[in-house]
Amino acid sequence: MIVRLAAEAMATRFELVLSGTDELFLRAAGEEALEIIRDQHARLSVFDRGSLVSRINALAASRPVEVDRELWELLDLCARIWRQSGGAFDPAVGSLMARWGFRDSVPGKPRTPAPAGFEAVELDRTTRTIRFLDPRVSLDFGAIAKGFALDLARRSLCQLGVERALLHGGTSSAIAIGTPDDLPAWTIEIPSRRSGVTPLRAQLADSALSISSPSGRVVNRAGQAVGHIMDPRTGRPTSGVSVSAVSCASAAEADAWSTALIVCSGRPASMRAASATLAQEGTWIIEPEEQHVFVPAPSCKGD
Amino acid sequence: MTDTDRRSFLTRSAGALAGLSILPSDIFAFDFRSAGPRVAIIGAGRQGRAIMGELGKTEGVEIVALCDVDERRLQAGLRRTSNAQGFGSVVELLEGAGALDAVFIATPTHTHRQVAQACIAAGVNVYCEAPMEATIEDAAALARAARSSGAIFQVGLDARSNPVYQLARSFFRSDAVRDLVSVHAQHHRKTSWRTPASDPAREKALNWVLDPQVSLGLPGEWGTHQFDTVCWFTGRYPVSVRGTGSIRLHNDGRELADTIQCSLLFDRGEAMSYNATLANSYGGRFETLFGTNAAIKLAGTHAWMFKEADAPTQGWEVYANRQQFHNDEGITLIAGATKLAEQGKLQEGVGLPHPPLYYALGDFLKSVTEGAEVVCTADEGYRSTVVGICAARAVRTGEEVTIDDSLLSLG
Repeated sequence: MIVRLAAEAMATRFELVLSGTDELFLRAAGEEALEIIRDQHARLSVFDRGSLVSRINALAASRPVEVDRELWELLDLCARIWRQSGGAFDPAVGSLMARWGFRDSVPGKPRTPAPAGFEAVELDRTTRTIRFLDPRVSLDFGAIAKGFALDLARRSLCQLGVERALLHGGTSSAIAIGTPDDLPAWTIEIPSRRSGVTPLRAQLADSALSISSPSGRVVNRAGQAVGHIMDPRTGRPTSGVSVSAVSCASAAEADAWSTALIVCSGRPASMRAASATLAQEGTWIIEPEEQHVFVPAPSCKGD
Repeated sequence: MTDTDRRSFLTRSAGALAGLSILPSDIFAFDFRSAGPRVAIIGAGRQGRAIMGELGKTEGVEIVALCDVDERRLQAGLRRTSNAQGFGSVVELLEGAGALDAVFIATPTHTHRQVAQACIAAGVNVYCEAPMEATIEDAAALARAARSSGAIFQVGLDARSNPVYQLARSFFRSDAVRDLVSVHAQHHRKTSWRTPASDPAREKALNWVLDPQVSLGLPGEWGTHQFDTVCWFTGRYPVSVRGTGSIRLHNDGRELADTIQCSLLFDRGEAMSYNATLANSYGGRFETLFGTNAAIKLAGTHAWMFKEADAPTQGWEVYANRQQFHNDEGITLIAGATKLAEQGKLQEGVGLPHPPLYYALGDFLKSVTEGAEVVCTADEGYRSTVVGICAARAVRTGEEVTIDDSLLSLG
């Protein structure tokens, strides 16, 4: 028995496919998972003036702000990947996003120095507080929020005893629980941007997948289309790589790394190179061990 | 009210709106850092989690304890707190949580009396979700207990704390809509209303809301809140209610209707129609009060006034932000409109930044920490609960239920 449920959140459509024998239970479990996703939207949205993140952005430059255990989990993950990616993934790109016109505000001047990012964020583990060391810091979990919501939804479903499910947010972030009946994995097709190239197929079993592309969302800036993924190190939108896909255990982690890979135009130095191989058609590099990382071919910085 | 009275009221109220200002700098309107209230939440289901979420955005509130009989929900709830301690029963909580300034009760409706009375007896101030109880006898007993105690007791009918509703009500009571013609309200949401249980033994308890022995169903659980809004606006309570209900989507063995219609009659002949369903989400939740000069539509974080073409123009309308709804133009009711207009920021005030619950919790904590007047007393909560219970009875029996004055009075 398959139960499908969907909800609008985080400016996209989340869909759950749950497999099992008890329809009533699956539907109720799925509805609770969707509620968790909507809840994360309310907590993490920078477009919502009353969200938890808006509160931090409003207060953390003037004093440390205590956060709950769940948000701390996310901040902790962000801090780790920010460090590991050499700042390519940065959850404090709110001011940059505004400067380039991805907020309701009027775009700023892109040639001025990049506003402060996560290097100006202080996390105090003992008090579980966050403080901004620069008033221009603005958190924006846009690159990771969908994945984090999916991780929490997955946790809830697993605790309830759901054994087979696929959850996705806007098709760019997905997480699997178990495998479908009689199949070794949930198969997700990642179309190539080149015509005539066979799409890559990701096989998910108790794992997550994230796909990033600067063209996922664009604004028109002086007659030019500008993609929504910022390089926090230069203060400008990235333009080199068109698509990256990452698979690992956590959807939030996959989201963060797929963004970092776009920014790095390839594998960052901190990522293991030993298992990297070129995919057919020269489009993808796949690291099947550990994190199952798929990245676009052109550049392998750090080899 | 004469035309002159109305004009002067509207001038006064436009000025007074600044007091309700929702400016970007004070979006997080409540600050309890100096008092630092220590609070506990009893019930970690949907509503308990919502309460936790709003308290988490409220300055200075320390959630020190969380209580739920379901371990999975308790643990999930604890992750939404900084340092709260978890408890499996109210008795353990009251014994082990230390001094508490307030508790928020979000347990199943039919347990409110028992839980709230234990808290009142322990001398703790109580915010009790609505409806207050599942029977008139229990609701009355709880209201009397709250009334006779020294504790602060607020019922969770959050429309009364909603700044946009407060503004809309001031217009309604100023006669801007003139004579009330009728009211229509609905709550549409597509959901099974089921709670998943990892342990089959917990299935029945977790799904109390679908159990006709203890649940008031849609008219009671959802309707009570919307009936209260209308009674609070009009200052009057319905004298009778008729209702019907059926199962339109969730044909899964449940007995309670997933779709209901009620018709509530007021003493001057006005009728309120009310629809609620678990089978369709179109339109969501709203209340519309139709008058001879205008209609007011209330929809949680937003409210609009739709004026009749022949209604007199008021001075404040020059500031108004407008929104088109098919053939009708609604004037957006914005708390703090005058001040925002002066700053050229009227658009920023459209819609509340927080759900109404945030303001209700903040109001309650102001009563606890500053002695502010209770926004929804046990008596007021009791009366709206009675309307909800009568509506549930009307839907269940298919018969007209009279809401006698004596039912509404606690004596």
